[in-house]
Parts: sequence; structure tokens; C-alpha cells
Amino acid sequence: MEFISPELDYAALAPMIVVGVAAIISVLVEAFAPRSVRRFLQLVLVFTTLIGALVLVVLNSGMRVLTGGQSIALDGPAWIMQGTILILAILGGLLMAEGGVDPSGDAFAPRASALPGSEDERQFTIRGYLQTEVWPFLLFAVLGMMLFVASNDLLMMFIALEVMSLPLYLLAGMARRRRLLSQEAALKYFLLGAFSSAFFLFGAALIYGYSGSIAFGPISFAITTKAGENTLLLIGIAMLLVGLFFKIGAVPFHQWTPDVYQGAPTPVTGMMAATVKVAAFGALMRLLYVAFGGVRWDWEILLWIVAILSMLVGSIIAISQSDIKRMLAYSSIAQAGFILVGVVAASPQGLASVLFYLIAYGFTTIGAFAVISLVRNASGEATSIRDWAGLGKKSPLIAAIFSVFMLSLAGIPLTGGFIGKWGVFAAGVAAGDAWLVIVAVIASVIAAFFYVRVIVLMYFADPTPDTAAVVIPSGFTTVSLAAGATLTIALGIVPQPILDIIANAGVFIR
Amino acid sequence: MSQFGLFGTDPWWLVIVKVLGIFVMLVLLTLFTIWWERRVVSRMQNRIGPNRVGPQGLLQSLMDGVKLALKEEILPKAAHRAVYWIAPVISATAAFLAFAVIPFGPTVSIFGVETPLQLTDFPVSVLYVLAIASIGVYGLVLAGWSSGSTYPLLGGLRSTAQVISYEIAMGLSFVAVFLYAGSMSTSQIVLAQEPIWFAVILLPSFLIYVTAMVGETNRAPFDLPEAEGELVGGFHTEYSSLKFALFFLAEYINMVTVSALATTLFLGGYLAPWPISLWESANTGWWPMVWWLLKVQIFIFVFIWLRGTLPRLRYDQFMKFGWKVLIPVALIWTIIVAAVRILRDQVALTNTELLIAGVVLILILLAGAWVLQGRAERREQQRDADRAARAERQLDLVPGAHPVPPMPSQTFEYTPRRSALLTTQATMKEAEDA
Amino acid sequence: MLKRPSITRGVPRAVNVYTPILVLGLLAFGFAAFSVILATFTGPKRYNRAKVDAYECGIEATPQPMGGGRFPVKYYLTAMMFIIFDIELVFLYPWAVAADQLEVFGLVAIVLFLVNLAVPYIYEWRRGGLEWD
Repeated sequence: MEFISPELDYAALAPMIVVGVAAIISVLVEAFAPRSVRRFLQLVLVFTTLIGALVLVVLNSGMRVLTGGQSIALDGPAWIMQGTILILAILGGLLMAEGGVDPSGDAFAPRASALPGSEDERQFTIRGYLQTEVWPFLLFAVLGMMLFVASNDLLMMFIALEVMSLPLYLLAGMARRRRLLSQEAALKYFLLGAFSSAFFLFGAALIYGYSGSIAFGPISFAITTKAGENTLLLIGIAMLLVGLFFKIGAVPFHQWTPDVYQGAPTPVTGMMAATVKVAAFGALMRLLYVAFGGVRWDWEILLWIVAILSMLVGSIIAISQSDIKRMLAYSSIAQAGFILVGVVAASPQGLASVLFYLIAYGFTTIGAFAVISLVRNASGEATSIRDWAGLGKKSPLIAAIFSVFMLSLAGIPLTGGFIGKWGVFAAGVAAGDAWLVIVAVIASVIAAFFYVRVIVLMYFADPTPDTAAVVIPSGFTTVSLAAGATLTIALGIVPQPILDIIANAGVFIR
Repeated sequence: MSQFGLFGTDPWWLVIVKVLGIFVMLVLLTLFTIWWERRVVSRMQNRIGPNRVGPQGLLQSLMDGVKLALKEEILPKAAHRAVYWIAPVISATAAFLAFAVIPFGPTVSIFGVETPLQLTDFPVSVLYVLAIASIGVYGLVLAGWSSGSTYPLLGGLRSTAQVISYEIAMGLSFVAVFLYAGSMSTSQIVLAQEPIWFAVILLPSFLIYVTAMVGETNRAPFDLPEAEGELVGGFHTEYSSLKFALFFLAEYINMVTVSALATTLFLGGYLAPWPISLWESANTGWWPMVWWLLKVQIFIFVFIWLRGTLPRLRYDQFMKFGWKVLIPVALIWTIIVAAVRILRDQVALTNTELLIAGVVLILILLAGAWVLQGRAERREQQRDADRAARAERQLDLVPGAHPVPPMPSQTFEYTPRRSALLTTQATMKEAEDA
Repeated sequence: MLKRPSITRGVPRAVNVYTPILVLGLLAFGFAAFSVILATFTGPKRYNRAKVDAYECGIEATPQPMGGGRFPVKYYLTAMMFIIFDIELVFLYPWAVAADQLEVFGLVAIVLFLVNLAVPYIYEWRRGGLEWD
């Protein structure tokens, strides 16, 4: 048996290596640094790392390499998505670092292992303990996402999926307020996530059985050469897609989304909603285009159905929500459907439009959750939509910023969301999916209703005694919120620079 | 012919002969070992030991077995019936199964058929032994759980925690062997020790294995699952009659198995030891089986010797030893072996360079361990001192008497956690009053 | 792979390397099951309420909680650490067998892997996960 060592392109892998090593150091900081300096060290480490990795990604962005024995593909779209994930993670990290909003600390339980409502928990709260384990989790999750969008074989993709998901399951269960809700969310997320991972693995095994390989290149080759014996292949693709649809939260694999969005600590929800969408769509597109491009006609119909279901179910159920986080969760399901329209197009134009949509959606989402973390009442965040009535009169600035995000999510012109939607729909029409686009437009109209309803409530209702107050945050949230708002508007007014970058990135390499 | 030679080519009747041979041998070895243990321990304690039944009391264990069969079978009220029944069966079956891949000797001729003195072998046979050993643990934990009683439950949990803790160190000690043998098949590993035994070149691995194997078989000084003083009989407290005998059987077979594995992996299996190996035909025919049996008996004697000599460890000491000493040492040793072997063969470092590097590395490790150990000891001393001081301050009317509430003249001190709680409660009450 | 056609004296040699294990397993299982069943016939049966109670040094037995009650969380920690290290072993073995072919690349890879595993181990040690008292 001859063994050939895989060639590793260390320069191209540098951003991921930096994040991975930093994550390990971060665990060691937890193990050795005294409690008093832990938070400071972690913050320095996390933000230096993320910014450093971002710089490396920018420096590397000209590279187009397959490395690690073809298991990792670092091409234009991969760099764009890695860069996006890093920027979004920085903004999300800033939200997680916020310590000035909750009077008793940050957004995380002082000690996740203490029973909710117990004397232990109260003790930890009184003593002002802060959970610093969230930072290694953040770094590991980011590492997984970066690898997810670049993985070019099924095994690497599965590992990335797990490295990304496991920290997120834990983060979801660490909220300081409403801990039972949070723990329930984490458990649901974990159990359903474990099922979907199992589906993914089964699918990978079937594809291996069909093609004799787990790498995308040989799979694609097998598809072109082995016409006619497609049963294993099609079942395998369907199972892989189940795993990925779960991650992007598309109907009918969306059940976890509302509970997790609602239960997880708001900064985590924001970070997760934005970055996981990017990572999962990146992986989905690479899988479909690079490995399964040859059977496009077979998976297209599946994506059609899922896209239509996601758009309609997400938009319609969102209308009846009374909790703002749940409403945004259903909105994210609908958005997943809109993005799928671009994925179905399966053209360079479609790819570019999806990338732009993901960027715009990410900034908007993080910004929206930043606002939610600031609107509070005595018991914590005021997530009931009723409590937002008249917010426009009490806190005009925050209400205005939130309105921008809502308009962007609804796809109203002059916001990033509009350009994103336009691009996706145009790609859909160009690829001949006119009927799908018509459904999407109808769903957009339905969706616009509930986004605008929040705005109407904030501005055209009078404040009640229940109306929540807006807390003045520290610099962390301010920066994150300002960046989210600025970029949402900038992407709507001057999208050309970003569109150029995406156009230069080209398509996935094989 | 495959690299496994004649394995898997035996005719059916020979397979059955071999299976029966192994079975009978194991049962006999068990009976013998029990008698042997009792005799040796007796001698060590200035007693005589069983000497009534049969010559020198040799049939004593057989009679004990018959006696057990005639004893009443007790099914505890709270027991989970099916599991309670199946647990000893699992234990015993797993114990027998592990012997399938142990080589007793080279190829011999049985009734005119050329065949190796080994039931079977395949490329991952050591892995198979580990797997079967793990299945044996199910017997213990299920027995403890299904008895519906406190002591067995604790005993079962303890033995499981113990076995899995020491299994890691055990597994790690094999890595160096596989590295040198280039195979996981037991027969290949034995042959790879032709010039020199692995116990000599991989001495630390051997020592780690020997330690772990005692922990793995729940034998003294690591016999915590059946610590009589704490847990009555451990997981088999509620078992009686032949079910109890099966656990007993399994324990002794496991002892033989780990000894046989140690012989196979480290002491050259059936290969003749040095002075005998000068005789040319020492490694041919049926002779190797004699060497094999002698080596196994040496290990079994060591087991008995340990039991006769050492007191039982405390549970926390035992776990600390496994997790904080054995595993790190095994890990570091494995890395060193691999690094030395590969760097010498592939990078062509000379032995001197490696030796210097090794000495430097060992010094660094020792220094690090010394610093850490010093800190840990200081901390432990501090903790003990604190505890002693607290105990002193605490009420103790008549030293050693039953604790009673304090008299008004006496001070009473709460535990730190409790007093912190009381302080906070007082503060909060003040805040509410204000 | 390991099957050979019969060479001598017409005895069919259709056994593969795993069959003997099955035979030994059947024998061992049969023996164990037989012993368990045998004991129910050979032993006497004299009912006594105290005999079938849980054994607690002669005092009245403590009522058992359903399903054995709650276990100390320590055991779960140990079990999780075991799984992590056991999987480490699963990766170490194939590497050890093929180490000579994998050369320095294999060594570096496995050392990195071990370092990665050492970090959580150190973390748990420092956080007191390995203390029993």
C-alpha cells in the first residue's frame, strides 16, 4: 500500500489555521488565566484573531487553489464567504462582548451548569461571575464555518459541519435570562441537529457507494460516466440536502428555528442567524454545483419545492407571531426560500446574486438583533411585539435604525435587501424559473406586511405604560449596530463595489 | 497463501477440537488458579490453605463449584429479571471469547493436518480482544444495575469507571507495540519479537500495561468494586449459586486473558526464553506451549503476590493515579517512541543526537513535573491545613463522640459555602429593610 | 481473501477466520446459559421475605428509586473523557501499524492530533474534572 502525503498550501490555509490555533489558545486561557483577567484576555485574543484572519483572507483573495488532497477548495466564492463570515463574526462578537446592557452582567448565564433558579445561580450572579467559555466556542464555530464553505469533499464537509454546530448548540443554551427557554432551545437544536448530521452522513455513505469517492471531483466524474444507475445517487443527494436544509432552516426542516432564535441569547442569535446562513448556503452551492452539477435536472425540482414551501410557510406564519425574535425566525425561513431561488438558477449570475444576498442579509440581521438586545423592560429584553408600540416616539433613533433593517428584510429600494432580492429574482428569470420568481414575489408581498407592521406599531401607536425602554449600550454594541445600519444602507445605495468584488471572484473551481 | 498463512483454513472438526481445547483449558486454568491463589496467599500469611479435597487440596475449587450449584438461587424482589439473568452470561461469554486470538504455539501437526496452535487470527486481532473486554464490562454494569440494590449499583458503577479509565492507559501502551511490530495481528506480533522481546525495548509500555491490566481485571490492590469494607461484594452482592460462580469464573478467566495478552505482546508469546532458546528445537512442535504456559503462570503469580502484599487503594487515589499519572505518562512515552523511531529511520538522525535530545527532553519534563508537583503539593497541604484548622475550631464536645448541636457557650462554624449563603441572605435582608 | 481450496485428503476447508470465534462464542454462551438454568433446578427453594429484600447489612432495605435513581455527574464526565480518549486510540492504532510508511508527515499529523486532544484534557484537569473525593 503506497501512501502519498497530501500537499498542504499553508499560505492559503493560513486564515483557518490562525482561527484554529487561537481557539485552542483560548481554551488554554480558560484553563490557566485567573478569573479576573480572563475576559480581557479572551476579548483581545478573539478580536485580534478575527481581524487578523480577515486581513489574511483579503491578502489571499487572489488565490484559486485546491489543497489538502483536493479536500479543501479556496476559490473566489470561498474567500468572499470566509471574509463575510469573519466580518459578521466580528460584529456578532461585539454584541456578545456587550456588558453594559444587562444590569447584572452580560448576555450569558454566569455559570451554565448551575440549575436555573437555584441558590447556586443566585450566588454566581451576585458575585458577578461572567461566562468566558463563550469565546472559545465562538472561535471554534467560526473555524467550522470557514471550513464549511471551503470543503471540497464530503468528509471534510461533515467535519466542518460538526465543528460549526457543536459550539452553537452550547451557545444557544447559555442565556442569562429565561434560562429554561434557552436550555430547551439548546436541547432541541442539538437533537434535531444530530438527526440532520446523521442524514448527512448516511447520504455521504450512499454517495460513496455510488461513486467510490468522497471528493467532489471524482463524484462529478462518476456522474458523467455512470449514466443510468442513479438510485443510490439520488437517495444520497436527497439525504445530504436534508442535512444542509436543516442548517439553512428551510421548510420542512425549519422546526428548530423559531425556538432556537427565541431561546438563545440575543447576541448569539444574531451572530448565528447571519453567519450560519452564509456558511450553509456556501456549502450547499458548492455541493450542488461542483459535485452534482451533472444531475442538475434531478435536484432542481427538489429545490423548487423546498424554496416555495420556505417562502410561503415562513412569510405566512410570521404574520401571526407576537414575539419579535420568533417573527425574525420565520422571516429567516422565508429569506432562506428567497435565497434558494438564486441557488436553483445554477448559473454564475445566480451564484453572484446569492453571495450578495447573503452579505446584505447578514448585516441586516445582526443589526436587527443588536436593536432587540437594547429594547428592554424590567425582566430583560422586551421581545413581545406589543411592548414596542410607540417606540418611535420614545427613542426615535433606535426606531429609525430598526425600521431600516425591517425595510431591508422586506426588500424595499435603497436598502441592501432590495438589491439582493432583485439580483436573485433576475437570476431566476434568466435561468427560466419564471414561475418560481412569481411565487417569490407574492411571498415578498406577504412578508412585507409583517415587517411594515412593526414599523407602523413603532411610529403610529402611542406609547403605553408597557412600552419598553431603550438602554444606552457601551461601545461594543454601538459599533456593531452602526456598522450594520451603515452597511445595510450603503449596500442599497452604492452596491457596485461589492458587486464588482463578487463578479471578480468568478465561480467555484473544480 | 495470504499473510495469515493457515488461519481460516482448518477443517471443521479441527475447529471444534481447538474450541473444546481452549474451553477445557480455561476452565481447568480457572480451577487451578483459584487453588493456587489460595495456597500462595496462605503461605504468605503463614497459613496452610486448602489441603483436604484431593491431593494437596487440588480439587477444592471443583468442590466449591459443585457446592455453589447446590445452593439456593435468590432472585431479589427489586431485581430487573431479564437483565439480572443475562448479566452473568454476558460476563462469562465475553471472558471465554477473548481467548480466540491468543497464540499458544507455532504451526504443528494435529492428526496429520498442519495448523497453528491458535484458534484464529486476523489483521486486527488485538483490537478484537479490546472490543470483547469492553463487552465484558456490560456484564458488570448490568449486574449492578439490575440487582435493584444500593451496593451492587455502586459497585457496578465503580467497576465500569475503573475499567474504562484503565483501558485507555492499556490501549496506549499497545501503540508502541504496534509501531514496532507493524501489525495488530497477535501471531505477527509474536513473530516480530524473535530476536528480542518488546518488554525489553519497550519497558515503559510493558510497565504501564502491567499496571493497567491489574486495574482492568479489578484485582488487588485495585479491587475497589468489591471493596468488602465499603460495598459488601460489589456488583455481585445480590448474586448467588451458579450465577455467582459465573462471575467468579469470568474474573479468573479475565486474569488469565490479560496475562496471556501480556505474554503475547511483551514477553514473546510462545517463543522460548533465553537460555532455552539456545536449544534449536525449542521453538518447534508442542514445546512452545510449555513456555507460553510458564510465562502466563508467572503473571498469575504476580497477581497473587500483589494481592498478598498490597493494601487496597482509596477510590480517589485510584482514579487520580489512572487519569493523572498513567495516561499522561503513556501518551508522552508513545510520542517519544514514535518520534525516535521515525526520526531515526526517516530523517537519519544519529543515535547520539537522539540521545542528547532525549536527555534534554526528559530533563525539561522532569523539571516541569517537579514544579507542578510542588505547587500541587503545597496547595494540597494548604487545603489539609485549612480543613484541620476548621475542624479544630468546630464544635467537638467529646472528641469522636456523636455530633450534637452546640451549647450556648460554644461557637459554631458553618462550611464556607453555607456561611457565604448566610452572609448574602443577611445583606439582602438589610437591603430590603432599608 | 483467506479461503483456500482444499489441498489434501478431500476434507472441505470452508472455514473463514471469523467462524471459529462464532463456534467458541456458541460454546461459551451455551455453557453459561446452561449453568444459569441448571442452578434453578439443583438448588433448594425456601422462601423467606428477608432473603429477597435488597441486601443492606441486615437492616430494612432502603426503597429503590425508579430506574436506579440519579448517578453522580462525575461518572458521566469520566465516560465522556473515556470516549474521547478511546476514539483517540482508534486513530492511533492504524497510524502505529502504518507509521513507517507514513514517515514524518504521519508523525507530525499524529502529534498535532494528540496536542489537540491534550488541550481539553488539560482544561478538564485544571477545572477539577479529574478530582474524586
